[in-house]
Amino acid sequence: MSEDTRKDSYEERISGLTSAEFAKALQTFCDKIDIGDAAQLNSCVHCGLCADTCHYYLAGGESEALPAYKLNLVSAVFKNQHTRLGRIAPALTGAQALDADMISRWVDSLYGRCSLCGRCALNCTLGINISRLIRLARTTLASVGLVPPELQSTVSTAVDKGNNMGIPRQEWLDTLQWLDEELQQEVSDPAAHLPIDQSDIRLFYTVNPREPKFFPLSLLATAKIFYAAGESWTFSSDYYDVTNYGLFSGDDQASGVISARLRDSMHKLHANTLVLGECGHGYNANRWEAPEWLAGAYGFEVKSILEIIADYIRQGRIKLDPSRNQKRVTLHDPCNLVRLGGIIEQQRFILKRAVSDFVEMYPNREQNFCCGGGGGQLSMTRFAKRRIESGRIKADQIRATGAKIVVAPCHNCIDQLSELNKEYKLGVEIKTVSEIVADAIIIGH
Amino acid sequence: MSLALLLRLGVVLSAIYCLIALTILIARTFSFGKQPTYAKAQGSAAKGIVYAFGQGMLPWEKESASKHLPTFFAGILYHAGIFAAIFFLITTLLLIGLPDAAIRTVRLLAVVGLLSGTGLLVKRSALPYMRFISCLDDYIANILVGLLLLVTILATYYYVLQFAMMAVAIVLLLYIPLGKIRHCVFFFYSRILFGTFFGRRGTLPHPSTED
Ligand code: SF4
Ligand code: SF4
Ligand code: SF4
Repeated sequence: MSEDTRKDSYEERISGLTSAEFAKALQTFCDKIDIGDAAQLNSCVHCGLCADTCHYYLAGGESEALPAYKLNLVSAVFKNQHTRLGRIAPALTGAQALDADMISRWVDSLYGRCSLCGRCALNCTLGINISRLIRLARTTLASVGLVPPELQSTVSTAVDKGNNMGIPRQEWLDTLQWLDEELQQEVSDPAAHLPIDQSDIRLFYTVNPREPKFFPLSLLATAKIFYAAGESWTFSSDYYDVTNYGLFSGDDQASGVISARLRDSMHKLHANTLVLGECGHGYNANRWEAPEWLAGAYGFEVKSILEIIADYIRQGRIKLDPSRNQKRVTLHDPCNLVRLGGIIEQQRFILKRAVSDFVEMYPNREQNFCCGGGGGQLSMTRFAKRRIESGRIKADQIRATGAKIVVAPCHNCIDQLSELNKEYKLGVEIKTVSEIVADAIIIGH
Repeated sequence: MSLALLLRLGVVLSAIYCLIALTILIARTFSFGKQPTYAKAQGSAAKGIVYAFGQGMLPWEKESASKHLPTFFAGILYHAGIFAAIFFLITTLLLIGLPDAAIRTVRLLAVVGLLSGTGLLVKRSALPYMRFISCLDDYIANILVGLLLLVTILATYYYVLQFAMMAVAIVLLLYIPLGKIRHCVFFFYSRILFGTFFGRRGTLPHPSTED
């Protein structure tokens, strides 16, 4: 393991794994593989063309960050288990057993040098879903309790306390009450308020717990938009956390527990649409992965808040004055929302109507670079140095636009971008789409 | 039995072995079972698959190609050479005499393919990051295919070297199911999976912009 991987009980735990634990890990690995995974684990031709699609490799140049290397680590175990040549002559195809050495390499590269952003998958010559296979390895590690402890603690807090920041119910309700008063002042309407636990409504709105904890004004911004659109919506007093770090830890069981809460709240509230606040991985987890974890289709719509806002504009339910946002604005595309989520044009449609000077960064849309904060990297402090270094690619993209404001529809990204802002002296403000829209909205329209 | 007949039989038998082994490989892959998908599609898997085999193969659609144009084109030419060599091998086996123009085309494609393949081998051997992701299988596969291209070129000049071509073909056919050349069957499925994944999610083909 490299210098920024602390020698701690976690590492000792890897070296002390029992043969029963190795067997369990291997069993999980084999059980989770489906036809597609097996085909793709047989497919890599080692052409190396994915190398510079990865921000880790681009920024640091370390061979252990090459997407093909990370894929090799997973396919090595597959070949060792499931191919004849891999068993007879492992050296020939790079096959290797899932032993302590391989597990250490998995942790170092598959947790420590990957944000599961999917950029390599999009650009792989053969179309191999490398990030999915890296997550498969994470699931294997999770089955024997080898999720890096800081990431595990975020997942455990969400499972045990109902949200990933462990915000007590009363604190959440107090924040909403305070925001109620703020909203009334903001829109000059004493009847305006933030609904809680309303049933038979159209939208159940979920948020990243970082909002009530650190950025309550971004909640206020969305409430203002709902108010202006005359929306029928609600918060829940119990489960409102859109995040799901199980997506990153690889723990499918915890992922299922966390996502089931929002699904069950939808049923309890008799809401029509589950609206996911500005959170990239929260969108991917709840829109795309949760029905798979829970093995059942959702009987309701799941939408990003960006789709909702774009509809308001199209339908004339809100009116925006772009001259209220004069500074140059650029947009960061969160990988989990855009490349892996399919929400690509809505945010552009909105921003072009909400600001007067919008510029794209390059590359953008599905080819965007990850900011470096995904994949659980923001939690895994042991890999923080690499995270900041990998973010240099995003910092360079931002600087090249000359923008004064970076809009990021993801609170994970916002945290990482804020650190990049300081580290790389970008001198930009970082905002959500809702905040920009709330600044441009004409109340009383 | 003459050497020519023996080699011809050898190629046929090794081709049959290769096909059976690849079929078993596919059957074993299918034995892993398919997980159902429950999330409601946003885009279209079918359109994604069409993209994966059409527009998505164009160099400007994939950064891995657009940033590495020499490698991208070398790869295409290498494969064109391989298909030409296979075509020539089949016609030789079936004792079909090719017109001069066809032989010259095979030769040209094989020469360009050999040069491209050699270039890719040099790249793999020379660049540290390529060595890092490569295993012995990568070099063996490249050398065996290169050898087939070389003897094919020579066989288009000298009839007697068709024996050497068949001998190399036997070794190659026996090796295909074992090593990386098995991607010849998985390539198509991999692209289908790619198209399905990004197509269902509405990421590809690129959604139209709304101005
Ligand atoms: S681009 Fe795809 S096939 Fe080529 S080395 Fe990378 S993962 Fe393997
Ligand atoms: S998923 Fe993203 S971070 Fe991970 S290897 Fe691929 S490009 Fe790199
Ligand atoms: S932190 Fe943001 S940019 Fe990075 S993977 Fe998550 S969504 Fe993508």
